Amino acid sequence: MRHWLRGSNIRLAVAAAAVSAVVSVSVTRTSSQASRPPRTSDGKPNFSGIWQALNEANWDLQAHEARPGAVMQQGVYPYEFARVPAAPVLALGAAAGVPGSIGVVQGDGQIPYTPEAAAIKKENAANWIDRDPELKCYLPGIPRAMYMPYPFQIVQSTNKIQMAYEFTSTARTVHLDTVERPPDDTYMGHSVGRWEGDTLVVDVTGFNGKNWFDRAGNFHSEALHLTERFTPITPDAIRYEVTIEDPKVFTRPWRIAMPLYRRLEPNAQLLEYRCIEFVEEFLYGNLRKQPLVKRWEGETMIVDITRKVPPGDKLHEWYRR
Amino acid sequence: MSRRFPALAIGVAVVIVAVVVLLRLAPGQGSNATTEAGAGPPPSTPWGEPDLQGIWTSDAETPLQRPAKYANREFFTDEERAELDKLRATAIGREADESRRQRGSEQDVGGAYNAAIFTTHKPLGRRTSLIVDPPDGRIPPLTPEAQKKRAAIRDFQLALVQATDLCKNKLPGCEGGKYGPPSPRRAETPPYYLTVGAAGGLGAGGGVINRANGPEDRGLGERCMAAALPDFGGNTGFFLQIVQSPASVSIFYDTGQGQGWERIVPVTSNPHLPSDVRQWWGDSRGRWEGKTLVVDVTNFSPKSYFQGSQENLHLVERWTRLDANRIEYAVTIEDPTTWTRSWTVKQEYNKQNDQANRIYKEPRCHEGNYGLPALLVGARIEEQAFAEKRGPDPATLCTAGCGGFALGFADSGEDSNPLAR
Repeated sequence: MRHWLRGSNIRLAVAAAAVSAVVSVSVTRTSSQASRPPRTSDGKPNFSGIWQALNEANWDLQAHEARPGAVMQQGVYPYEFARVPAAPVLALGAAAGVPGSIGVVQGDGQIPYTPEAAAIKKENAANWIDRDPELKCYLPGIPRAMYMPYPFQIVQSTNKIQMAYEFTSTARTVHLDTVERPPDDTYMGHSVGRWEGDTLVVDVTGFNGKNWFDRAGNFHSEALHLTERFTPITPDAIRYEVTIEDPKVFTRPWRIAMPLYRRLEPNAQLLEYRCIEFVEEFLYGNLRKQPLVKRWEGETMIVDITRKVPPGDKLHEWYRR
Repeated sequence: MSRRFPALAIGVAVVIVAVVVLLRLAPGQGSNATTEAGAGPPPSTPWGEPDLQGIWTSDAETPLQRPAKYANREFFTDEERAELDKLRATAIGREADESRRQRGSEQDVGGAYNAAIFTTHKPLGRRTSLIVDPPDGRIPPLTPEAQKKRAAIRDFQLALVQATDLCKNKLPGCEGGKYGPPSPRRAETPPYYLTVGAAGGLGAGGGVINRANGPEDRGLGERCMAAALPDFGGNTGFFLQIVQSPASVSIFYDTGQGQGWERIVPVTSNPHLPSDVRQWWGDSRGRWEGKTLVVDVTNFSPKSYFQGSQENLHLVERWTRLDANRIEYAVTIEDPTTWTRSWTVKQEYNKQNDQANRIYKEPRCHEGNYGLPALLVGARIEEQAFAEKRGPDPATLCTAGCGGFALGFADSGEDSNPLAR
């Protein structure tokens, strides 16, 4: 009996300690977290871990309202705001809409395209399925890889910081030491980093100009120059800001900013998203001996929509009677 | 003239593969490595773990399996290495007519790419084989189950080449088969899910089977998905870049001519992924055992392919920094459904100059893959030409993937690979 009592007291005490620990942890995190980001053995903010953006930037960097489909066609009314989902996504119902966003473009929220570039952006958006490199599983480039809807991992060492992206298992190395530049331009750019206090500043150049910023057709040329700034906000959040310069496409530098959040699942890990295989049908389906997608008209894939009313649907049972 | 057109189209397709897939450093280029042992002790990271970081490659050429001639000898003598290197250099460099198949023939055109690309210029290493266990340096015997599977695949492959010049001229790619009329099996789905990494297929060509009905008939290399675990650098060599943090080891594989990939080894005691989650590169779990990073890899996909092993492959890798300039990589390979016992491969990596940064961190084979669609288009053109009685039966052609010339050597004779004679 005494044993049991003592045991239960201990359990109570442990439980109470656990509760207070939880309380104190949450207090700590709300009061003085900014001053206490985790640090590496050399005293730098420690960004190692698995991160993900939680926003709609990959749909469209700019503020936008929700749309019923990622691909649209004219509805019964001739207005732009009354368009309805088009064939490629129609069968996916509410899963194929585009979520709204307050946008990540800083300042006036505008992207300062030159007039010629603005026309290309508009064309890109109208031809999204044919033109967006993401749909073809191409290397996503920077900054897009940072806010695609897939986690990425930072492996932070002293002279190198590796950023590993789940999307198509690609990566970039941020060089904190001096290295020779790659001999050719690249999709993922050449990243050179330095510390400014607690901020990691990364200069990215050497692009080949084949990437987009998002699914809205925002694009850049090979003259792209990024200045990224990674600043700890809490142990589990980073403020990520990018200054974007590209005199061939934009009339002035502009900025995007967003938080990156730590994936807190204790067993979080990067998995594979080996989409090269996923897009073979998309890219080469028309070249099969016996096409799997039944309707290729020359080089155009016509997607047949299948949405069968399930048996037992009450409304349709009633209607059929 | 019209008869020649389809074959020409395929020839062009193959050449395009050559141009597209390749944008990498030749093995050894930019290598400022000091390869002698003992150039300083193995370093540690600032947080006190063994430091595996840097850019690495294997500077030496070593066959995976020990050539029969050197049975039960783990090392070449220095004289043997010098002699073999001389023989290899002469055979590769000669490009004599007698070492080539008839100019303009299917095998000549189809093998041109392999002859140029899968040609090693690395000096021979000390070991007679990468395999250190079993002691004979050979891959252990297949299980009866795996033998049956391999024979069924081989039968299917042979059926698809039996009407081609490969069998007519009794070339090595037809070994086990014989010349005959087109097989009705050409219309069949293969007996198993077929994936084959890179060169090493029929006559050391690229295809899984002599057909291009769709991407699945082609080799993973042509589909820009050749990167696999374990990776010993294959015929083209590879570069690795390792970056460490206390909880994770990142290994970037610059491999397979622009087919590289980023691998993260979590250093954790967490269990593996649930057994129904399967991945091309499996699921890695690392731990430090003294100076060695030990990595357990399971959860491979039925599409993964290593020497015939697929979803049941299990690897235990051991990465050890021997000194400032060398890493020893040892991997024990196990799959009781494929081999009668486990086997172990050992390879040494040499540190490359960090500042020169000669590693191709841009796996963009896929972005420029005109080769695969060109192969498919070529096959469709051949079929159309045949249907319109303008061209030969496609079943009698083997234009992409039946070339031979693996590693730049002839199939036989004095220009063949001295290690394979």
